[in-house]
This record gives sequence, structure tokens and C-alpha cells, in this order.
Amino acid sequence: MRTEQLSWSKPTGWHNGSTSPLNGSTSPRNANLVLYFGAREALASGSRYHELRAMFPDAHIMGCSTGGQISNDDVTDDEIFAAALSFDHTPLRLASAPAPDAAHSHACGEAIGRALAADDLAGVFVLSDGLNINGSKLVAGITSIIGNAVPLTGGLAGDGARFEETLVGGDCPPKNHAVTAVGFYGSAIRIGHGTAGGWDEFGPRRSVTRSVGNVLYELDGEPALDLYERYLGEDEAKGLPGTGLLFPLLVRDPARPQTALVRTILAVDREARSLTFAGDVPQGWVAQLMRGNFDRLAAGSADAARQARAGLGGETTGDEVALLVSCIGRRLLMGQRTSDEVEAAGMELGAGMPRLGFYSYGEISPHATSGVCELHNQTMTVTTLAEVAG
Amino acid sequence: MHKLFAKQLAKATRGGKRVDLALLGELVASAYEQSDRDRRRTDRSISLMIEELDKLNRSLELQVEERTAALRERESELKAQNFRFDAALSNMSQALLLFDASAHLVISNQRYMDMYDLPAELVKPGVALVDLLNERKVRGSFQGNPEEYVAKILADVAEGKTGSQIAELPDGRTTFVLYHPIPGGGWVSTHEDITERRRAETQIAYMARHDSLTELPNRLSFRERLAEAFVSLQRDERRAVLYLDLDRFKNVNDTLGHHIGDELLKVVASRLRSCVRESDMVARVGGDEFAIIQMHIEQPIDTETLARRVCSAIKAPYEIDGHEMVVDTCIGIAIAPDDGAEPNEILRNADMALYGAKADGPGTYRFFEPKMDARMRARRELEIALRKAFAAGQFELHYQPFLNLRDGTIPGVEALLRWNHPERGMIPPAEFIPVAEEIGLIFPLGEWVLRQACADAACWPDNTSVAVNLSPTQVMSKSLVPVVISALAAAGLPAHRLELEITESVLMHNTESTLATLHRLKQLGVKISMDDFGTGYSSLSYLRSFPFDKIKIDRCFISGLPNGDSAAIVQAVAGLAKNLNMVTTAEGVETQQQLDEVRKLGCTELQGYFFSRPCPARDILAMFPRRLEKPAITALAS
Repeated sequence: MRTEQLSWSKPTGWHNGSTSPLNGSTSPRNANLVLYFGAREALASGSRYHELRAMFPDAHIMGCSTGGQISNDDVTDDEIFAAALSFDHTPLRLASAPAPDAAHSHACGEAIGRALAADDLAGVFVLSDGLNINGSKLVAGITSIIGNAVPLTGGLAGDGARFEETLVGGDCPPKNHAVTAVGFYGSAIRIGHGTAGGWDEFGPRRSVTRSVGNVLYELDGEPALDLYERYLGEDEAKGLPGTGLLFPLLVRDPARPQTALVRTILAVDREARSLTFAGDVPQGWVAQLMRGNFDRLAAGSADAARQARAGLGGETTGDEVALLVSCIGRRLLMGQRTSDEVEAAGMELGAGMPRLGFYSYGEISPHATSGVCELHNQTMTVTTLAEVAG
Repeated sequence: MHKLFAKQLAKATRGGKRVDLALLGELVASAYEQSDRDRRRTDRSISLMIEELDKLNRSLELQVEERTAALRERESELKAQNFRFDAALSNMSQALLLFDASAHLVISNQRYMDMYDLPAELVKPGVALVDLLNERKVRGSFQGNPEEYVAKILADVAEGKTGSQIAELPDGRTTFVLYHPIPGGGWVSTHEDITERRRAETQIAYMARHDSLTELPNRLSFRERLAEAFVSLQRDERRAVLYLDLDRFKNVNDTLGHHIGDELLKVVASRLRSCVRESDMVARVGGDEFAIIQMHIEQPIDTETLARRVCSAIKAPYEIDGHEMVVDTCIGIAIAPDDGAEPNEILRNADMALYGAKADGPGTYRFFEPKMDARMRARRELEIALRKAFAAGQFELHYQPFLNLRDGTIPGVEALLRWNHPERGMIPPAEFIPVAEEIGLIFPLGEWVLRQACADAACWPDNTSVAVNLSPTQVMSKSLVPVVISALAAAGLPAHRLELEITESVLMHNTESTLATLHRLKQLGVKISMDDFGTGYSSLSYLRSFPFDKIKIDRCFISGLPNGDSAAIVQAVAGLAKNLNMVTTAEGVETQQQLDEVRKLGCTELQGYFFSRPCPARDILAMFPRRLEKPAITALAS
């Protein structure tokens, strides 16, 4: 496999790291798969897609809007980062499905799963709309078809801290209400994955006294929004739902305490005093507020990277690539120091491994302990790709 | 240099060597602001957390308080409950034990320790049942193998079976032990001392079958034994039933009191017991009635021997409380299977035999005879017929006229009762009068006779009288005088036209009251005649005791005429009567010769077939009003 990293910025257009820009005059290049991540404004017109299509006529091109992009040690808001991958021995297939609303998430996942299912399916990387989806259900839908043995990684598209609209495109200009996924087939591909958090729960355990799916109404009988406004203070509360990312929720089934999941706020309803999360917050479960510890967040990223690197094994040939999907909440907390975590991950992955990624509204990866693929929040998930000699 | 500052610097210097100070300033300021925000956020989080934890603490404390209060209440409730249970357990009359599934004691009450005299140190929760039983065995309140016993209970309990047993303890007590499985695998057992209950039950059973005074088996036992005797009867085997009662026992009771009477019965019972063998049974079946079953008879004479022995045993004098007395007995005997195929028949026949023995007199025994049965039956039939007859008006009065030997007139007639039985025809009074007396019919019958006789006589000429026979029973009755007065009044008959004939046996009993009645009747004007003169023991002395109006010389003297002895007697009696101002009637004159004789010997009247047979009332009327001449008498004679 070969990796070529590209970036686009408004003043300079597409670059691949060499000094000369890439433009339509350059001859078409070989690649099977191109991944790109950028701000919604930059992708909205669809032009970037077309440009990429022109450069890589034979490749599957998939990408989405984000809450920030990662390329090696850099994290930016305004640029578009992309990577063109050329696989030697690995067939690929792209599948897309509409995501009309959260209620259809499972069905949507099933459609994706059916489109990609095959005996030699070795892995799936999925990008989903970030706002009109129930990430847990989407994941469940896909795994209900492909099973738990096939690694499923990916993320939910973002929209900065605005939470207004997200765009996803698979072999087409990115649009809203879309889910797209690429399947890797054959025995030559190696996929590693890792996920880690770094947030600490604190304070009293609260009972989820009223919730419906991923909408939380009450904790301990008190409107959920009241709690958050208290903890955020007047100023930061104005920034909800974005500032809600500073206090993710740790939810746990009291009957099975080891199934702890971190949940991120996606939306607030100021009238209903409710909070919508990226995944289910089941009634009767126990919830605790979490807060981020910078050092632990960075250590978490390093941990995820380590896991992903280990998953590749030692016999790969050619280039490797790491896809980083990190949570918008981490970026919000760390601010200018966000790159600390990306650097930490890089340290583990090694200088020779190119890194591409984005800040999402939800991360998809197998659970570190259970191995079952789930939607995560507030995590850094790393997916590594490489091939072995055919 | 701080890593962040280095980045910021790099960012501010991008695209050239000059540092964009404004940008750098922005970045640095922004980093400070972020830091501040971070710090404030953290501070707020901590404060809020402290607050919340505080609140939580307080709420927990409150909960703990409430829980503690509730627990304390519960505890005191439980204490009270336990106290109640303890009280119940300690005071219940049974011993109670609760064992767990491995046969170890969980609960026991004081009664258990008391019942089996077990030390408190042993009977503690956790002790194994087998150990308790071993201790009980040592102390003599358990028999058997403890391990086996425990194994049996465990097996039963495992099947959910309730078990019980009655144990006869070596020390003489009887206990009732019940064990009942409980959910969870153990069981509850109760022990009850039923010694007293048993004793009472046995007592009741005994009392139900024995006479409390004499301790002899009672009627119920007797019947049962008799039934058994029949069932076990082999071919060629015989058993005897002796039925006996005490003669004159009522006397003893009446004269000496019930206490003496009871003592007497006890002595009688023991004497009877000594007469019989071990295998025989003596029972008290009534107030003074006893029965004996003789089980083994080698020879027929054996029963007679027994009967004789019983008679002499009973007859022997008694001395009770300083009083001396004698009683006698009558015994009726029936032999099975000859005299009866089943108990009821045997008893009936023994009873009949007893009845027969009574007729023979006290101190006798009689064997049942089949004829007895027939006789009894005939007598009973007669009884029934008699009662019916009276109601159905089957009785008639016939009259036999007297003849005055001086002037040939008919001074009066004797009323004679006739029973016109629809099937059997005329039944003579000798046959039915005794039965009537026995069944008490004599009074209504007698009254009817008096009334009818007076009524008939009222139709006859004024100088004729009617004579009515009275039995001793009637004369002894207090109602005789009123009945006579009533009969006379109803008929409108003057008292002097009524004659009442009595035999001397009337004067044998209750002489004082009898004489009083007779005098009273005489006062009324009624005439009293002595019937069958000369047939009793002391006819003459009876003549002295009462002023009779007439003597009727018995036919046995008349039929002997003209034999010398009879003639002498007749003459003497006639002369005696004349001197005492009494009329003499010669009874049973059947021939002319007898007629002439009695006239010659001095009798006043005669009565007999020669003159007239008894005839119905209407025929008598036809005989009046003729005055009969002597020649007429002669004419009559031919």
C-alpha cells in the first residue's frame, strides 16, 4: 500500500506537501481510496469533491464535514486534509445509505451492512451524518449484518461547535442525512484499532429517572438541562450544546457495572429542559458527570494509538496509515493544546506513519474490553491500515 | 520554552521570519483566557460537587435515622413477638420441638425437658436428635434404636409425610408423638402425655360394658358375648342361657332402703360368680335380673346342676349392715342350638321358661318347652281377643234363676258372663276370667256386668233380685262401692234387689279393707252371698267374720246326695244358716231326687239345670210373674 497526504486551503488550493500545487492539469494519479475531511463551509459547494474526483478518477472518494481536521501533528479548522491510498491486494467496495432521521438509524445500518457483507470482508470504515442519527443504533444495525468479528471503525461527521448541519459523501459531493462506508476485502489487509478516553467521573451518582432513547429528560427527578447549566455557569451555559461537551456523561447499567459508556451532548431543548446525546442513555441506568484532565487525555490518545499499532502486527509491507477520529469535546476542552494529544498519538504510531483524521460528533470502534463495536464519545479512536505481502 | 508558546510562536511566524506580534498576543491571551475558564470551571465543579455531596450526606443521614428508627421499632415488635411466642411455647401442654433438615434441634420448649427429665445443657439448639434420644434411652424414656428412629423420620419428612406414633414408655406413661414436615426441610414434632386420656378411654369402654354397681358385664356385653357364643358354636356343641331374677327383691328395697338393696345385689353378683366356671359369663341385665351363659356343657345334667347351685346360692341368707334377709330366685333356661337358632330366639325362650318357673313358685327353675311357646302364644291371642271383645260388645249376660223351695217362686237370678267369640263360639268364664284379671280387664268388665245386670233386673218384678259374682280383685278395689252405687242409680234399682256373690278367697287377703268394703255395701242395702261354701279352708270362720245374707252350698256336696256324708253336711249347713238368719242355696241340682233331698234337708233355695239352665235376659222375663204351684214344679220336672 502507498499513502499520499494532501491538503487544501483557500489561498493555496490542493497540496501534497511538495511545493508545487496540485491542480487539474496534473495527470490522474493511481489510488483506490481517497479520504478527505474539512469544515462544512469548505465542503458545502461540492467543488472539492469534484477536484478530487478529477485527480483520482478511479478511486472511491469518501469524506465528511468536521469539528476540526488532523494531519500528522496539525489540527486546523480551515483546511481540508485528505489522504490517497493505493492498495495492491485489497479489493474495496463503497456503500451509501440515506439517514432520514434518528429513528431509521438501525435500518440504515442494516442497509450498509447488507451492501458490504461478504465472506472475505475484513473490515469496514464508516462515516455518518452527525446530527440525524442514533449512532448506537447505526452501529448495531451494521453489526447485526456483518457480525462482531469484522472490525468496524469510523465516526460521525461534525459541524464545528455549531451543531447545525453535517455533510457526508461517498463517491458523490458531500450532503446531509447521509451515511457512507468502505469495506476492505481479502486477506492482505491488516487493520488495527484502538480507543481510549481520559475523562474522569466525579461527584454523586445520579439515576436516569426519565429518558427516551438518546434524549435525557431527568436525572434524579431534576431536569437534565438544569444540572448542566449549574455546572457550566451562566456564561458557558450560553454555549450549549457545544459547551456541554466539557461535561460528558458516564452511563452505566447498574446490573452490569462494567458496561460503562461515555456520552456526549448533541443538542439541547431549552423548553423541554432535555439533552440529546449521541447515543442511548437508558432509563434506569446510573449517570455521573465527567471532567477532562489534559494529561490524561493526551495519555489516552497515546494509549489508543498503541493499541492500533499493535493490531497491525509486524509483517506489513509498504506504507501504513493511521486514521484518527477524535471527539469534538476533547478539542473544546484542550483548545490550543489539542495538538498535544495528536502528538502523543504520533509518538506511539511512529514518525513514519502518516496520520489523517478529524474531530467528530461520535467515534465508532470496537470496545477496548468487550471487543463489541460501539459508538463512543469523548474518545480518541485510531484505525491503522496496512497490507502484508500478497 | 513552553511547548505551547513554541507552537504559538511558530504559528505567529508562519510564512516568514517576522513574528506577527498581534497574532502572537492573541494566541497567548486566548491561552490565558482558556486557562482562566478552565480554572473557574474546575473551581465551580468542586464547589458544586461539595454542595451536592453535602446534600447527599444529609439525605443519607436522614435515611439512616429513619431506617434506624424503623429497625428499632421492628426490633421491639420482634421482641414483643418473641416474648409472646416464648410464653405460648412455655405454657402449652405439649412438648414442642423444631428440627432442621439435618435432624439438629432448632427450637424446643420447657415441657419437653420436663417430660423426659432432660438437662438444660443438653437440650440446646444445634444438638442432634440422635443424642437426645440416646440420653432418653439412658433415662428409660425411649425404647428402640435411635439411629433407626431418626432415619425413619428423615425419610418421612423428605417425602412430605406427617407421622405419628403412640409410645408406651417403660415408666408406664403413654405419649402421643406427632411430627410434621415444614417447608425448607425440617420438621416440627409435638409430644403429648396421653396417659390420663388413655386411662379415661379405657375406663369409659369398661363402663360401657359393665354394670357400675356389681361390676358384672352389662346387657350390652351380654348380647355381644351371646352372639359370639353362637358364632363359635361347633356341631354337637351346646351352650345354655340361664335367665334369672330375684324374688322379693322389691320388698328389700322398699323396707330396708336402696342402699341395702344395692349391697344385696353386690353379694348376689359375687355368689353368682362363684357358681360359674371361668369360661362362663354372668351378667346383670336388669334391675334385679341376671343372665348366665354356660359355654361348655359335657352332659345335659351339667346345666341342671348349675341351676340348682345357683338356686341354693341365692337362697342362702344374707346379712348386710346388721340386717338379715332372704331372697329367692326363679330361673328360665334355654339351650342352644336346640331352643333357638340365633340369640334373639334363645333369649325369648329363656324368658318364657322364666315366666313358667315363676308360675311354679320361687326357688324354681324351668327348662324351655316348645309347648310353652304355643301356650304363651294362645294366651296372648286370648288377651288380644278379650280386649277386642269388650270393645266389640261380644259379651253377654245369661241368667240362671233360683227356685224358692218353700213357695216355688223365683226370688232372683244369678248373672253369668258369657263371651260369644265370633270364631270359637261360647268361651266359658273359667277360661277367660283369669286372663281378664291378669290384664286388668276385670274392672271395666266387672263394671259392665254390674250395670247390665242392674239394668236388666230393673225390668223384672219388684220382688226379684239379681246376683252378680265378684272376684277378689274387684272386692279389693277402692272403686267397687262407687261403681255399685252408680250402677244401681243408673238402673234405678233398689239396693236390696242386688246380691253380690263372693268366694271365701276374697277374705284371705287384706281382710280389714275387704271387710270395710263389704260392710259399706251392706249399709247400702246390698246383699252379700258366700259362694262355693265348703270348698275353701276355713269357710266356717269366714262365716263368723261377716254377716252374710246367703250361703251357697257348693255343688260337690249336692252331687253326692243322697250319700250319707254329703247329706249330713248339707243338713248341718242349712241348720247353721237358719240359726244365723241366712238363706241357703243348693248349687248344681240336676235331678228330682236331689231336689227332694235338699228340700228335705232344709235348704231355702236351689239352683241348677234341673230347674233351669242359664238363659238370656228376654227369656227370664217370660218366667215371671207366675207363681209356681208345687204341682207345677212336678210338671216342670217331667
